[in-house]
Order: sequence, then C-alpha cells, then structure tokens
Amino acid sequence: MTTNLYSQADWAAVTPLFVVGITALVVLLADLFAKRHSNRYVSLLLGVLGLGAAAVICAQSYGQNYAAFGGGFVLGGFTVVFEEIILLAAGFSLVLYGAIGSEERMAGVVALMLWGTSGAMLMAGAANLMTIFLGLELLSLALYCLCGLAARATAREAALKYLILSSAASGFMLYGMALLFGASGSVALSALTAASVAASPFFWMGCGLFLVGLTFKLSLVPFHVWAPDVYEGAPLPVTAFMSVVTKAGALAVFARFAYAALPSGAAAHLLLPIWIVAGASMLVGNLGMLAQTDIKRLLAYSGIAQIGYIVAALAGGTSQGLRYAIYYLVAYTFMNLGAFAVVALCSTDKEEGSHVAALHGLGYRRPALAAAMTFFLLALAGFPPTAGFLGKVFILATNVGSGYAWLAALLIIGTAISLYAYFKVIRAMYDRAPSHRVVDVRPVAPLAWLSLAICLAGVLVMTFYPLTPSNVLPLVK
Amino acid sequence: MTILLIVLPIVAGSLLFLAPSGDKVLSKVVGCAVAAVTFFEAIFARGGGDFTVRWLSRPFTAAFHFNTDGISFWIVLLLALCTFCAVLACNVPRTRNFIALLLLLEGAMMGVFTAKDLLAFALFWDLMLLPVFFALAGWGERRDTAWRYLIYNFAGGLALLLATAAFGMAYGSTDVIGQAAHPLAGTWAPWIFAGFAFAFLVKTPVWPLHTWMPATYADTPSPMVAVVSAVQSKAGLYGFIAIALPFASASMHDASAFFIVLGSISLLYGAFAALAQTDAKRIVAYSSLSHLGLILIAIFSFNAIALQGALVYIIAHGLFSAALFLVIGYVEEREESRSLARLGGLGKANPRLAGAFTIAALAALGLPGLAGFAGEIVILTGVVQAGNIWPALVALVAIVVAAAYMLRLLQGAINGPQVADLPVRRDLTLLEGLAMAPLLAALVAIGVNPHLLTSALAMVTK
Repeated sequence: MTTNLYSQADWAAVTPLFVVGITALVVLLADLFAKRHSNRYVSLLLGVLGLGAAAVICAQSYGQNYAAFGGGFVLGGFTVVFEEIILLAAGFSLVLYGAIGSEERMAGVVALMLWGTSGAMLMAGAANLMTIFLGLELLSLALYCLCGLAARATAREAALKYLILSSAASGFMLYGMALLFGASGSVALSALTAASVAASPFFWMGCGLFLVGLTFKLSLVPFHVWAPDVYEGAPLPVTAFMSVVTKAGALAVFARFAYAALPSGAAAHLLLPIWIVAGASMLVGNLGMLAQTDIKRLLAYSGIAQIGYIVAALAGGTSQGLRYAIYYLVAYTFMNLGAFAVVALCSTDKEEGSHVAALHGLGYRRPALAAAMTFFLLALAGFPPTAGFLGKVFILATNVGSGYAWLAALLIIGTAISLYAYFKVIRAMYDRAPSHRVVDVRPVAPLAWLSLAICLAGVLVMTFYPLTPSNVLPLVK
Repeated sequence: MTILLIVLPIVAGSLLFLAPSGDKVLSKVVGCAVAAVTFFEAIFARGGGDFTVRWLSRPFTAAFHFNTDGISFWIVLLLALCTFCAVLACNVPRTRNFIALLLLLEGAMMGVFTAKDLLAFALFWDLMLLPVFFALAGWGERRDTAWRYLIYNFAGGLALLLATAAFGMAYGSTDVIGQAAHPLAGTWAPWIFAGFAFAFLVKTPVWPLHTWMPATYADTPSPMVAVVSAVQSKAGLYGFIAIALPFASASMHDASAFFIVLGSISLLYGAFAALAQTDAKRIVAYSSLSHLGLILIAIFSFNAIALQGALVYIIAHGLFSAALFLVIGYVEEREESRSLARLGGLGKANPRLAGAFTIAALAALGLPGLAGFAGEIVILTGVVQAGNIWPALVALVAIVVAAAYMLRLLQGAINGPQVADLPVRRDLTLLEGLAMAPLLAALVAIGVNPHLLTSALAMVTK
C-alpha cells in the first residue's frame, strides 16, 4: 500500500515555482536546437512566457489560504502578492537583458535568472526554517553566477565579494536556525510563538543570528557595504534583478518572521534593533547617495534607504503596516526598475560606463527617455504625483499611528537628504553645457519600451488608485 | 468645473512640450488661449462645481476634493490673471519650454488653492516646486539658487507631509478644509501645528527662513517670478488662514506672540534690506518680505478686521508685486541690466513704461487711492483694535521706509538724469501694455473702491 505523503493541493500551491524552474530547463534545451541567429529571441520568448504562465497560475490562487507541505509553504494573499512582485521584476530584468545583454550567453543567463526567481518565490511562501534556507540558497547561488557575467575587473570583484559576504551571512542564518531549532524542537516558524520558547537562551541567540543574516540580505545598515560594490560590478539587468528580487524575498521572510514567529512578549524587545537599523539605513543610504558619481552605486544607496522605509512600515506590527509595506514595495519595484531601464539604455558595459555624466544632456538628445527618468527619480524622492509620494504618506501615517513617530521623523530627514542626490541626476539630464563623456543611447527594443511604459503607468496609477491587498494575514498556519 | 482649473493648464502645459520648439508664436498663442480660458473658468467657477472623488479610505479618509469658495475664489482669480499677463508679455529664450512651465505652475497652484483635502493640498504643494526649480535650473543666472529654492521648500513640504499624515491619523480624515469642524485636540496637536507652521513660514517666507527668497526672485525670469511672488508666496498665508485657524486655533493663540515677533522682524528687516539693495528685483523681493510680515501679524492678531485686511492685502500685494516684476522684466530686456547703479532716466523716452512702473511702485508704498493702501489701513485698524500696539508702531516705521525704498527705485530707474551710455530703446509694445493694463486697472479699482473686495471678503471672515 502506498500513501501519498503530500496531497495534490500541496503540489498545486508550488506550481508557479515549478513552472519557472522547468522553464529554465526548457530554455537550455531549446538553445541547443535553435539556430544561431535566433537563439537570443527564443530564450527570451520562452523565459517571458514561462514567467507569464507562472504569474497567471499564481494569480488564480489569490484568495486561497492553505498551508502546503505540513506548513512548509503557506499559500495566502501575502505569498501571492510577493510572488507576483518577484515575477514582474524577473520578467522585466529578462527583457532588459534581451535589449542590452550579450548575444552568446543568453540562454544560460535566462536559466539562471529563472532559477533565482523560483528561489525567491519559495522564500515568499516559506514558513519553516528549511524552506526559507532552501529558497535563499537557490536565489543566492544563481546570483553568484550572474554577478560575474560582465567581462570587467569590477564584475569579478563583485561576484567574489558577493560570494564571500553572502556565504558568511548565510552561515549566520544557518547557525541561528540551528539554535532556533534547538530552542523550539521544530523547524516550523509557528512553533516559535510558544511562550515557553522565549525562556530559552538559544531562542534569543538564534533570533539574533538569524536577523543578522536577514539584515545582510536586505542590505540594511550596518550590513549594507557590499551592495554598492556588487551593484556596480554586476551587469545592469542583473543589478535591477537583485535590487528588487533579493529584497522582496528577504523582506517576505522578515515580515513572516516578525509578524508570525515571535512570542508576543518577545517581539517588542527583539525587533527594536531592527527598527533602529531601518532608521539608520534611511540616513546612511541617503547620505551615501550624495557622494556618488556612478549611477548604479547611487541607485544602490537609494535602495538601502528605500528598504529602510519599507521595513519601518512594519514597525507597528499591524496588518495595515504590512499592507503599506507591500504597497511601497510594489511602488519601489516599478520606480526602481524604471530607473534601471533608463540607465541601462544610456550606459555602456565598459568600466565606469554608468557614470552620471553619461546622462548629461539626455533631455535634449532623447527627451522622452529623460522625461521618464525624471519621473522615476521624482518618485524615488517622494515627489507627487507618484506612488513614492503616497507610499511615504502611508508609512508616515502608520508610524505615527503606532507610536513610532521617531521613525517617521527619520524618514522625513532621510528624504530631505536624498533630494539633492536625485535632483543632481535630473539636473544633469537637462544641463545644456556640453560634456565629453556622453554615451550614445542604445537602440531600444520594443519590449524594453513596453516595460518602461508599464513602470510609468504603474507608478502613476498607484497614486490615484492605491490598492493594497486586504488578505495578507495570517502568515503562518 | 473646478477640476478643469487644475487639469487644463497641466495637460496643456505637458502637451506644449510636444510642440515645435522654434515656434514662438504658436507657443504664445496656445499659452495665452489656455490662460484666458482658465481665467474665465475661474470667474464662472465661483460657488459651483464641488469636485470630489474618493482617494483613500485607509489609514484615514482622503479625497480629491476641490472647490472655489471663500477666499480660494479670489486667489484663484488672481492666479489666473497673473498667469495670463505673464504669458502674454513673455519674451524669454526657449519660449515654448518656459510657457509650458508657467502653465504647469498655474495648474499646480490651482490645486493648492482649491484643494479641500489636506493630502491633496500637500500633493500640489510639493508639485508647485517643480516648475520653478526647472525654470531656475534652465534660465537662472547662478547654479546654487535652484538648489536653495528646492531644498528649503522641499524641507517645508516634508514637514507639511508629516503633519498631514499625523493630522489624518488623529482626525480620521483629511477632507476637512473649509468645513465647520471641531478643532484638533490631544497632546499631538501642537506638534502637528508646528509642522504646518514650518512649511507655511518657509513658503511665505518669514525671517529667518527667507534666505532662499531674494536669490530666487532675482534669478527667476520676470514673468515667472511675477506669478511666484504674487501667488505662490501666498500659499503659506492661505494655509494659516484656511487650515491652521480652524483646526489649530488653540496652538495659534498660544504661539501668537512668537509669530507676531517673527512677522515684525520680517517687516523691519525686509524694509531696511530693501533700502540697501541696488538690484531692482531684490528691492521688490525684500519689500515682499516686509509686506508679507505685515500680513502674518494681521493673521495672528485674531481680529475680524485685521483678517479682512489681510485678505485684501493678499490680493493687493499680488497685483502690485506682479506688476512690479513684469515691468522690471521689461526694463531688463531693454537695457540688459536691472541695477540701479546702471539705470536712470528711462521715463523721458518711455512714457508708457514709466507710467506703469510708477503706478505699481506707488501702490507698493501704500499711496491712498491704490490697492496697497486699502489693505494696509484695514490691517492697521484691526491690529490696533486687537491691542497689538507695538506691532502697529513697527508697521508704521516700515511703511515710512517703504516709501523711501520704492521712491528710490522709481527715482533710480525711471526718473533722474538720463544715463549717457544707456541705449534708448522703444517704449512698451501693445502686447506688453495689454499685459500690464489689467493689473494696474485692478490696483486702481480696488484702491478707489475697496468695498468691491471687502464686502465680498466680509462674508468669508465671518
């Protein structure tokens, strides 16, 4: 007699992950048979189709609430929204790579991106320590390869730096997980909520190590130093991918941990350092931006600050805060990817190809592209009428409402600092003085235009129709 | 339809960027047409067309709610008029872009002054910075002016945003402007008021937050600075009257001495600083600082007459400062200088220019029979009635100094001996004259018959 350990519903919950993972295999296979001059399009098309199919399947499970695999993967509004964000960002990065990437490695890159995507999607739904680590490593391993793609010294430096530092962070996390397992006797996050667990010193040590690892993956201060170097060295589409997908995955894990895995009394003490770190990220990220002349580094520091805002939204521990964090994450996805797309179209693969000077006078050479970039930077700075503006209002409101007014104040100060950095780029684009470092804009593929338009529309529409998912809780079962 | 007042200029301004950049005439015709249509819309908008669309229901309710009632109507009218005059007379390089920015500025400011929702107010408050920043970046003389303008005002905007979010959380709704509502209570109320007050003081501006202002006014091309000084600088005062007064009157009363002192310092400092300038635009800029300080004192006197005077003076100052900046712009275009050291005796060859300049300057120094006097006398009456004797005395000093600096400006540029090497250029053209005429006519009309405005505003202040 055979008994099925897992039901059909369990497998249905992770179908989108499998679709993405299998698409990667199909892409590699198809590359063997496709003609030389068309393989680029075949890989791209298959990859985007696979992501699209996963997005559709994923969207259909919206509204369900199911703990698959004995609580290892929890399907719910929260998971679906994060999976969709990850799929969107992955699709966008693929299109960007198709528009500007090199011809020969296309299939491999697409496959790696897809595997990384499925890892991040696993993190979005992971509700026990094993699945969290599985998703994290799947994502990280893909990224180690992707970072070193470009034929530049900085690319190799970036890949090595990311490999070593990220492995160390994974080690921290794994050690923390082992201690947590020791404290609760279970890998399930829900087992940590028992009041007796908090009495164990292992719990506190384990949480500390686990959170240190997560903070690294989120690139929050003081574990943020890797981000600018790695962002600078990696190929631009990969940077765009990392800036959203890694953060979304890590944020999903952190939110689940903060909301659902802590004994009620312990949460306030345990998470206070994280809120402080989030506040520090707003300041350090925005201050760091001021000195940058490379736009990828600038956006890396911007990302450090932006993730600080998002984490700050969770400070109250309310379901509203979680919804606003998701709102801001979606907004960040659109505005950040949009900005990266414009940068990708205006820079070269050479060393320092993405210097701010490359955008000099863009407003007169390519007015539409410059207008789009201006819009995205305004959104990142929190200017209306963009989702960045409304997202900040939400976070301010939730912080004030839940007694974290100091975080709201830090957000305001950080935003004020960031203004100069964003507007420096805007001003360079509309500067008439001639510059010798100007790079010719690449021809833009229609798909890249389409994704730019989607980002623009997303940022604008979200301002006037601010939808946030209402069924984000509960996060574990 | 109130919403058209906002949407029409913004859409038209955005589309104008697509027009051929070399076609000055087309840009100007489109700009004038849009500004004129907006002006007539503004006239007919009164009392009609309450526009509401639900925006947020969580974490507090907010709506895109716009209406032109109360003082909004008069400021909207002023804005539409000033924009029309500015576009009509505009003679700036890269005309298309400049006119497009002017229209965008008009639309954004329409949003500020017609918004009945605090969040929508904050949205347009930030939005109205952008056209001025781009104008400073594109046409300004010095690089750092644009930064100073943006950073000061965005800091104010962020304080406003935080205060708005806190207000929404405390009150449950931000759709409150112009509605009879209970004032804000609780321990947070003074802090929320402080956030609003900071934003309003930066925008007005008031000493010591004024340092961005003289440079901005000097560097922005004249047509835009006419609109900015006439209307944008009133956003802060409007905020005090429409938002702080109904919802934070307790905090305002508690802090009134502080604000009156700030207003008095602005009043005196602006007046004496104007006396020391040689740049014509800076003279007017510092005189604005002085005049707006007087309005701040009037608002914080909590007296019905003073408040009415403040409203009259808001309109009057808008009219004469727009006229002054426009006419200084004409002088600068002709003589390529606005320094009193260089100019002189322009009146002999340019009677029309001299006439316009004189009327505007005399209105600014408060000559009876022109609009400035009507505002000043009502304010002083109210301030004295409220028992604020020493601020009234300070104001008297400043008014005397105002006569000195305005006559010095007039004397230095228009009258006096002709400067030998100053080329004699043609007098005001028909278009330029047409652009000045409505402003000057309004100055005279309100000055001769202030009842036009006071009777309409009496209803508002009740």
